[in-house]
This record gives sequence, structure tokens and C-alpha cells, in this order.
Amino acid sequence: MGLKTMLLAGADEHDLTRLAEYQAIGGYKQAPKALAMSSDDLIAELQQANLRGRGGAGFPLGRKASLVDRKSPKPKYLVVNADESEPGAFKDREVMARVPHRLLEGCLIAAHAIESKDVFIYIRGEYLTEYEILQAAVDEARGAGLFGDVNVTVYRGAGAYICGEETALLDSLEGRRGQPRPRPPFPPVQGLYMAPTEINNVCTIATLPAILELGAAGFDQIGTPSSPGTVLFSISGNVEKPGNYELELGTSMRELIYTHAGGIAGGHQLKAVIPGGSSVPALTARQIDVPLDYDSLGAIGTFFGAASLIVVDERCCMVQLALRSTKFYMHESCGKCTPCREGTRWLVQILEKIERGDGEAADLDLLRKVCDRIEGKSLCALGDFAVWPVQSYFDKWHDEWVAHVEQGGCPFGGESSLEGIFAPSDQHTHSPVAEVPA
Amino acid sequence: MIPELRALGERYPDSRTAVLPALRLVQEQNGGWLTTESFEQVGEALGLTPAYCQAVASFYDMFHLAPVGRHSVEVCTNLSCALVGAQQVVDAFESELGVAPGETTEDGEITLRTVECLGGCGYATVVAVDHRYHQHVKPDDVPEIVKELRGA
Amino acid sequence: MSQPELVTVTIDGREVQVPKGLGLVEVALQAGIEIPVFCYEPRLGPPVGACRMCLVELEGVPKLQAGCTLTAADGMKVRTAQTSAKAAEGQDATLEFILVNHPLDCPVCDKGGECPLQDLTFRWGPGNTRMEFPKRTLEKPIPVSPAIALDRERCILCYRCTRFSESVAEDNQLVTQNRGASSVIATFDDRPYRAPFSGNVIELCPVGALTSTQYRFEARPWEIQNVPTVCGLCPVGCNVAATTREGKVKRMLSRNHPEVDEGWLCDKGRFAFTHLYAGDRLIEPLRRRQRSGLEEISWEDALDEAERLLRESGGRIVTALSGSETVEQAYALGRLLRGGLGAHTAVMPEETSQALDAFRLPLSAIREAELVVVLGDEPVAERAPVVELWLKAARRAGAEVHYAGDAHESCRRLAGSDDELGGRLRESERAILIWSGEDGAGGGHVAALARELGFDGKPGSGAFHLPRTANGRGVADAWACSDDGESEAPEQIGLLIVSGDEAAADPNVRVLAERAERVLVTSMFQSLAAGWADLVLPGTSYLERDGTTVNLEGRLQRQRRAVMAPVPDVVAWIAKLAERFGVELSPHVSVVFDEIGAKCFGGITFADVHERAELPPRAEKVSDTSKVSDTVASGSGLRLVAYRPLFSGAAVERTPELQFQKPEAEVQISPEDAKARGVRNGATVTVSSNGTSVELRARIARDLGAGVVRIPRDHAGDLHATVEVSA
Ligand SMILES: Cc1cc2nc3c(=O)[nH]c(=O)nc-3n(C[C@H](O)[C@H](O)[C@H](O)COP(=O)(O)O)c2cc1C
Ligand code: SF4
Ligand code: FES
Repeated sequence: MGLKTMLLAGADEHDLTRLAEYQAIGGYKQAPKALAMSSDDLIAELQQANLRGRGGAGFPLGRKASLVDRKSPKPKYLVVNADESEPGAFKDREVMARVPHRLLEGCLIAAHAIESKDVFIYIRGEYLTEYEILQAAVDEARGAGLFGDVNVTVYRGAGAYICGEETALLDSLEGRRGQPRPRPPFPPVQGLYMAPTEINNVCTIATLPAILELGAAGFDQIGTPSSPGTVLFSISGNVEKPGNYELELGTSMRELIYTHAGGIAGGHQLKAVIPGGSSVPALTARQIDVPLDYDSLGAIGTFFGAASLIVVDERCCMVQLALRSTKFYMHESCGKCTPCREGTRWLVQILEKIERGDGEAADLDLLRKVCDRIEGKSLCALGDFAVWPVQSYFDKWHDEWVAHVEQGGCPFGGESSLEGIFAPSDQHTHSPVAEVPA
Repeated sequence: MIPELRALGERYPDSRTAVLPALRLVQEQNGGWLTTESFEQVGEALGLTPAYCQAVASFYDMFHLAPVGRHSVEVCTNLSCALVGAQQVVDAFESELGVAPGETTEDGEITLRTVECLGGCGYATVVAVDHRYHQHVKPDDVPEIVKELRGA
Repeated sequence: MSQPELVTVTIDGREVQVPKGLGLVEVALQAGIEIPVFCYEPRLGPPVGACRMCLVELEGVPKLQAGCTLTAADGMKVRTAQTSAKAAEGQDATLEFILVNHPLDCPVCDKGGECPLQDLTFRWGPGNTRMEFPKRTLEKPIPVSPAIALDRERCILCYRCTRFSESVAEDNQLVTQNRGASSVIATFDDRPYRAPFSGNVIELCPVGALTSTQYRFEARPWEIQNVPTVCGLCPVGCNVAATTREGKVKRMLSRNHPEVDEGWLCDKGRFAFTHLYAGDRLIEPLRRRQRSGLEEISWEDALDEAERLLRESGGRIVTALSGSETVEQAYALGRLLRGGLGAHTAVMPEETSQALDAFRLPLSAIREAELVVVLGDEPVAERAPVVELWLKAARRAGAEVHYAGDAHESCRRLAGSDDELGGRLRESERAILIWSGEDGAGGGHVAALARELGFDGKPGSGAFHLPRTANGRGVADAWACSDDGESEAPEQIGLLIVSGDEAAADPNVRVLAERAERVLVTSMFQSLAAGWADLVLPGTSYLERDGTTVNLEGRLQRQRRAVMAPVPDVVAWIAKLAERFGVELSPHVSVVFDEIGAKCFGGITFADVHERAELPPRAEKVSDTSKVSDTVASGSGLRLVAYRPLFSGAAVERTPELQFQKPEAEVQISPEDAKARGVRNGATVTVSSNGTSVELRARIARDLGAGVVRIPRDHAGDLHATVEVSA
């Protein structure tokens, strides 16, 4: 367990954005291996490797590929989800900026598995530099004839967190408002342009060359049996050395925080860890002796999510944290389904009231109830993402909430590390609505 | 303009897919925001109605439907940046530029915005200046950034 | 099509056998269980699962599922709110969220009393809301167009209206702007929603967000009556319900006939009813006084006057029919004039052909077709609007829709043995021909083509003719069977009888009038009759009549009197006149019809014409002389199609809410022709044909073939059949 490079192998020693250097360390030797196999054999190999999706749901890539309707007369599409917008996540960005060719080689492998000739990489619009690097890599590799008859298109988003949700991404890629589609039909059957589509996260795809190199059996030696391989973890917030660390799955959270990330900054105490990006339930300081893998985190009531830890020290007011987090999800709600659109706005109103110190006991009660009423009702998981963290802050740091009500204000008396942060989220909304201030 | 936009349409299996790139292109050519004419142009080129194009644009944060400054300063205020002092950075920009988030300086040069997570959480505070990331930004760095911008 | 396999689904413990893949909402209905919905509306395309009102528990799935997105699979077990506490909680939650920002202004809302949201709130909703924060308040109501108002506070964002605009009418004008809680329904730049089917969004809206400006504050549900009838403004004959209050028509609603209109109406059919109350509506008969205009006279004097005119002109009578009369009106006229006076000469608005009966299909068959060919350059939507929606549905369902260009020419081309498209029409089992050209004889031509292409033996293949008139076929048949005598057309016309507004507005009829000693006009409006008539008898509207009409499919439908006319019933006063000429004619429509039924509708009676009329079976053998057209389009240069726009005519002229829909002074030109002449889209051009010319804005129409230009009749001036366009 511990540090182990696979995704980023060679990136410290070489400039792997350059095709020549990537090839010098054995790059683009795995794709031909894959192309030499039949798509059935390749899928079998990938299923055995049991590589679990790094984008959030943790669904095995091999299984997903096997569900793609390869018999369909329509073209098959591979779509790489590079929309990375989950607060706390910045790993896909580093992969694209430092090992773009590894991602592209992964694309060639995955494309062959599902018999696809068309690859789209949907990268969030804010990642301009990364887009340029990736596009340059695509041009260079294509120029070198490495793509054969496969087209790789890098497509830029335009600023919408929801477009990370796979079906919303497809709508956005089709030139629409990026709103989730009901499922079924699932993308492997009916995805981009109504054709069979495989969608995977950047890190998932960029791991494929390693699997071909080590073989499924070899790959399974790394990490834990149910969560093989390495993961590039993003860690941010109140730690000494925030950043991305590639670790074997199963490495303990404490090791990541204290050994690699240098512990809590400025000698403060650990208060909370949000382990999967801001959308998952938070853990208390007492819960960090847990192996970082899908099942272990699931077992203690949270999610592996986007493998992105946000570390929070004792100076942070959890009510403010909840409010800031909820404002984000309210702003990012696509507006398609009722509970998410109306519920997140209502939550923000309740949270503001409590944070201001105007809250009563009944409001605490209402807050929790509204959370539960959103959970599990929305069209996509964004509704859940909005309430899971709030529920956990509310339940695990309950005294702070009660204090807000009893003291008629924030117990941190203006000293919270988040004091004053609330960027009015309506600043983002676009002009045409005439919203008469209530 | 129209031929360029049509060309975009031909790049993809379905020309509708070109609507985001087309809107981006028109926005760049139009001083950073989209007008009624912009939507008519894109619609005409891609065989879509202007209403459709406006509906799409208004969904995404990176399309602007009202005038903006020549330059943009976008400060991330989401959790990771917030935890290590993004607000102080916002304050610094506010006083340096004399405008609040969402506003543009008198001279129409710089628009200040506070935005959601930019994906640089480990290098907080992240500030996107004309879409190029400045990382580990502290309040003291702000005057320098603004000076560079005004020089540019 | 093969029978779909049956599967067993269990809902709330009840087992039902349903076709595999049937929507769960429909499955539930078959089990007698209602799953409440807002956004679900199958006519708008695949479900979107947006409102979350339909949450149900699906066995084996932990999360609640949107029932509207589930389809029947064998062994599926579902529990709705009726038996599942979890589902009930979910539905309750959804309603609470919907109401969080809803103004709850039911007492002043037009939808009050007929609002699904109101009903569901009473049945499932939380008694009291826990929302105590300021609700979203928005500027309201805003005009979506002169005919439609939008209240964004009431909007529950079910996206029915925008989906209609995108996926049914395909006009993409009504859209959603912004994101999340700031999402609003809007048009581009707040410009009017200007499209022929816009009004349907009013009926689709499940709340009072989209309302009719004509109906605002006009009536409450418990004060109104909805009279089932049939629209009389075009040959489609959409099934409608006229909402009336205190003897006045207040609005028109669709009355979904799945084979005819699928529940959609065009804006003319929906909004133009206000012509009943036009300022120049004729109430009293008018008689010409020696060189001093028209004077009002009593109905008694008017009938005496009419009798005098009829007697003094003896047999030298010519009758010009509109084609909008009911079957009974035309028959009654025939009995009086042909039976009573031997005046057999009539001018029909269009020729009609029985030959089409051999290729008869319901309009809905267009959607099932794999290949559709439109003959003629007149825009289908302008002639028979709802047919355009069937064409769009066909295209969405994967059919190939061809616009063959000039009707006569393409008829000949397709009939030819070596034509590629013609060949595919012959092979196809589901091919459809639609004649959308000016020539009224098109019915015969297209029928002949269908026979030529071997459609007889193919139940899936058929042919339609889009006539100009609402009931041309019915009027012709009724006139024909009203008497069997014959007579030469009179050398000198003693009396010209002009029946109805369309005939009165027809230039050809005006020409006849020049040659007539006397003119008798029945018309609803002063302005149409003044100036040239010697006697004017006030007419009635299709909303004021009882009777039957025959639509373009050949479907006999029932028109019901929605409101009493302010003037005597036409059949009634014709009967009175008939009596004076010793002709036996009942003033009662039902009796009159039974007489006609016996003669020309295979013996059916008035009672047999049902609320949702069935289409008679295809005629086996039709004695028919029609042949594939051999008229040749003449002249060089561009062929001018001066079409009669949907938004024109007496009724539209008198409907303020429709003025903005009138076509602009535009000439539609094909991309090729535009290029060749250096014409830019939107530029002002000169359209000329020897001698005359007009200035018009050019619109490049991609659906138009080279060699043709289209101009709305009212803007075509005196242009000839072939024109030139110059930048
Ligand atoms: C609201 C929402 C946002 C998401 N954002 C992302 C994202 O930014 N990147 C990503 O890879 N997956 C994201 N996902 C997960 C995707 O829907 C999808 O599961 C994933 O891309 C599949 O790839 P994987 O199997 O390789 O993990 C998001 C899901 C939801 C519901
Ligand atoms: S206006 Fe009516 S139909 Fe349109 S989204 Fe709102 S509630 Fe639905
Ligand atoms: S009816 Fe099912 S989600 Fe609206």
C-alpha cells in the first residue's frame, strides 16, 4: 500500500506531453496489443481486471463495455468524461496536463473494445490550458498515424457542473441544454445521437494501458481485491501539502492526510474530511482510520466518489459549510426536475435563516425533513449530492446547529474560516429573467 | 462570420453539436458577450432558431448575455479555496478594482466575478484571469495581477 | 404489423395482461389505477421524467422510480401511492416542492376548477405548506403573443409547452431560458410566438401559466358548456369543443380524434371564432334601393323579395356555392332551385372526385407511411394545417417525405415507368400521395396516379387531395343528389345566387355577377355583399349550424350548433321559400339528412353520424374517368405560386388576436434561384411579370424546388403565372 505511480508513471522524469518522450518510455505499445485481440477477448480481459470507474459511481469498466450494443447498425461512440467539476477534484486535470498521451492510448484501447471509431473527449470549458495541451497531443498522435481509422474529437463544455452527469453530458455534446435523461434507456444501448455509447472518466480510461501492460492478473495484484489498481487522489483544504497523490487503493486515509499531505496546516486540529468531493457525507476526525477503497468507505456511510478529499480544520463553522455547499448545488441544479430545482432553493433559504441567527428549533427540523424529501426523488443524483453532505454536517455536528438557534447567531462569532464567503450565487444567472426582489 | 460557423457545423456528425463552439466563437468576436444578432447569426448558420440558441446559451455560465469588460477576473469561492481564504482575495480585488463581484470597472476594462470550483483546489486560491489560472493567490498578489492586466 | 407479445404486470396487487413495452401510466389505467402526472404526455414524444409526480415503487429497485418512464415488462411488480407509503410520501414531497413557489391564486386563475394541479393538491397535497419564505416573484403576466399570456409564477416547469414547440410543431420558438431555480419559459428576445400551431400550448399547460388572452377572466368552469362539434374553416375538419357561456362562444378546445387531428388545432381554428361577433355582422336582410344603396328590410319582406327574384328570372338562375355550407344547406338549396325551378346550373368552388374513395385512408396513416410524396408547391400548412403536423410526425418516425414540385408535371413524371421515385412508390407497401396544388381537379389526377402506381391492392398506401374548401365534397354530393333533372347553362343570367362568404369573396363569382341581371347573396358580413347585391340575406357561421360535412378524407362528420345564430337558420328559411314553390322540404336538419342519407350516403341516418365519426371503408369499385394530368406548365422564368394563406379570409380578418400571424410581404425563393440572381435572405427584391411588378422581401426557403417562387396571394398584386426576381 501507499504511493505507487501508474497513471503518472514517468511524468516526474520526462515531459510526457511530448509524443517522443511518451513513446521513449514505452508509450503506445499497449494499444496495438489490444487491437490484436478480438473485442470479445479484450472485454473479457477488462472484466477480469475489474477496473472500477473513477468518476464517481465505481461501476466496473469491463462490465459497462460488455453492455454496449455492439450489434447495433449504428456507429458506437466512446465518450471520455473530462468535465471534472466536483468541488475538491482536480485529478483529471493533472492527467490531461501531464500524461495526455496515456489518456489517448487508453481511448484507443476502450474504443476497440466496443468496436468504436469515434471518440469524444468532453472537457470542461474552464480547462483552457489543459484543452490546448490535449488538443496538441491529439494532433501530434494523429499526425504520427497512431489513431489509425479512429477519430478523436476534443469538445469543450461551457460552464455547467451538471454536464459531468453522463446523460446530461450527452445532451450537451449534442448541442443542447445539458440536462439529464431518464434511464432506461442506458447509454450503452442508446447514448450519443441515440447510438450505443460508453462513457468513462479520464482516470478510468488512462488506466487502461497499465492493465494491458500488466495483464488483468498482474493489475489485480495492486490495490485490494474488490478495488484493484491505483487512484490519483486529490486532497485539498486545511492540510500542509495539498495536491494530487497517486496511491494504491486500500491505503489508509490517515496515511494520505498525515504522511503524504503533511497533516493539518498551521498546527490546527482536524475537524472533518469530505472524502469524495463535496457531494458525499463527511467523516469526523475519529473516522479517518479507513482504507481508501470503494467498499471500505461505503461501509462507514459515505462514498469513494471522485477520490477527492476536502480536509476541514476546527475553525470552520459547519452551518456555513452547509450553506456554501448548498448554494453551489442550487446554482448547478439544471432545473429539469422538481425536487432538485425547488428543493435546493428552499434549503438555501432555510440555511441562510439559521446562519443569520434567525432560526428556530422548528427550522432545524424542517431543514432535515426537506433534505430527506429531496433524497432519492430527483431525476439524477445531483439532488442527493446536495443533501448528503448537509445531512452529515447536521447529524454529526448537531450542537453547532443548535447553538446557532440558541445563541441567535454563529457560535464562532465571526471567527469561522468561512466567514463572509457567501458569493451570491444568483450573480451567475443570466439577465433575461426579470426577478423582482421579494 | 456565417461561413466560419457553417464550417464548424460540418465538423460533427450532427451540426447541432456545433452550437457551443459557434456561440463561443461569436462571443469572442463580440467583446465577450452575446447579443440578439449573435443568436440570429449562429441560428442561421446551423439551421437552428435564434430562440434555441439563446436557450442553450442561457444554460451555461461561460456565455454572457450582457456586456462584460475586456478582461475577466474570476475568483473561485468554493469550499477548498474558501477554507484557505478566498474571501480575502475577493476583498482585495474589490478594493483594487473598486467594483463588486459581477460588476465591471468604470472604464469597461475588467469584470470581476466570483465563481464555483475551478478545479485547482489543491493550489488555492485559484483565480482565472482571462481564463488562465493563477494559483496559490494571496491578497498581496492582487495589485500585481491587476497591474499586469491594465498593462496588457 | 405483428401482434406485440403480452406480458403480466402487477400493480397494487392487481394483475393485468398488457402488450410488452406499454407505458406504465397506461398499464395502471387498465388496472383501474391512476398514476398522477404533470409532464407526461405521450403525444409530445418520449417521457422526460421531469416533474416527479408519478413516483412509484418498483419491486427490486431501492429508489422510487418515475412511473411515466417505465414500460411494461413481464413479471414487473409496481406499487403506487395507493398501496406504498414510500410512493405516497414521494408524491406528497413532489407536490410540496411544486407548491413552494406557486402563487396559489386559484380564485383569480382562469384554470381554476379545471386545473390538474388544483385537483391533485386536494387529493394528495399537504394541507398546509411549510414554506414561509418569499416565493419567487416574477413580472406577470407577460404576452407570449397577442393570443397567449404567460404567468411565470404559476409555471411548474413541466416543459410540455416547450416540448410541443420543439417536437411536435417543430417551430422551436417557445423555449426554456436560464438554469435551475431561475429557469423560465420564454420566446426569443421576448418576441411574439408566431407559428401556426402556437395555441396548442394553452391546452397542454397543466396549470394556469399559459392562458388565452381571448378567454382571460371570461368564464368560470361551472358557468360554461362545452359543445362537441367540428371546425369548419378548412378541409381537415378537426374535432373541437366550443366553450360557450350565456349563448356566446368563449373559446375553442380540441376534442382529440386520433385519426384526424390527434388533439392539435391550428390557431385559425382555435382563435378565429370571434368573427361571430364582428362589427359588420349582418343581422337584418338588405335590399337595393334605386341608386341609393341598401336598405334594411324585415325577414318577411326579404323572403317575398327573394320569391319575386326567383320567379321573374324563371330558369335563368346560376348558383355559386362556397363549399363551406353543410350538406343539408346545399341539399336544401338544390331542392328549392333544381326541384322547384329547374335551375340546375351551379358553380362549384372546386371539382371533386369520387375516384379518391378507392384510396381512402385516415390522416393518421401518414405517420405510419414509409414514403410520402407531396405534389404541388402550395404549402401544406396553408391549405390543411394539421396535415402538416402529420407530415412532421411521419418524418420523425423515419418516413421519407418528398416535395415533388409542380403537381401536374410530377404526376406525369411519377406515372412514367422509368422514374426512380415512381418505382419506389410502386414497390412500397406504405406510400402516400398528397396533392397540394391550386387546381381543384387534383383529386382526380392524384387518384389516377395512385391507380397507375398500383395502390389499389395496398391497404397501407393511399392518396389525399387538399381542397380549398371545408366541405366541397359534401356540398357537391348534396347538390347532385338533390334532383336529377338537367338543363343548359343559361345564355343570359337572370339571377345569380351567391351562397356564403367564400363565394362572395371569389373574383370569378364577381365576374359572373357582371353578367347577371340580378344578384342574391347570403353572407355574414355587410362588406362582402354591399355594392353588388340586389338582395342580401344574413348568413350563419359553422358554429351556429346543425348538420354534417365531409372532410378531405371523405369522413362524414357532425357539426353541432354551439350557439344560436342572431339570424334565422338557413335550412329553415330555405324550407319556407321551397314551400312557396310547391317543393316539399323539412326545416329540420335531421329529417333533411335522412333523405340525403338514403340517396347518397348508403342509407345511413342522422343518428349514425357519431361524435367521433368513423371513416367509411375504401370504395371497392369506382366508375371513374379521371386520368393522370396532361396539363403542361407553360412559360419560361420562375413559376409563381400565389397561395391563399392560412391566416387570411373573412374570419381571420375579424380576429384581432390573429392579425400578427398574417404573412409578411415576402417572396419565397429556392436557394439555387436566389444564388443565381444574387438574392440575399431578407433583402428587398423586385418580382415582375410582363408589365407589372412588386417589391417584396426575399426569404430563401430550403423546402422549395428550383424554378418556383411563392407569394401570399394578398401580396402578389396582378403578377402573372411566370415571373422574374431581381435583387
Ligand atoms: C451531478 C453529477 C456530476 C458528475 N460529474 C462527473 C464528473 O465531473 N466527471 C466524471 O467523470 N463523472 C461525473 N459524474 C459521474 C458520471 O455520471 C458517470 O458515472 C461517470 O462519468 C462514469 O465514468 P466511470 O465509470 O469511468 O466512473 C457525475 C455524476 C453526477 C450525478
Ligand atoms: S408554462 Fe405550463 S406547460 Fe410550460 S412548462 Fe410551465 S407549466 Fe409546463
Ligand atoms: S409525470 Fe412522470 S415525471 Fe412527470
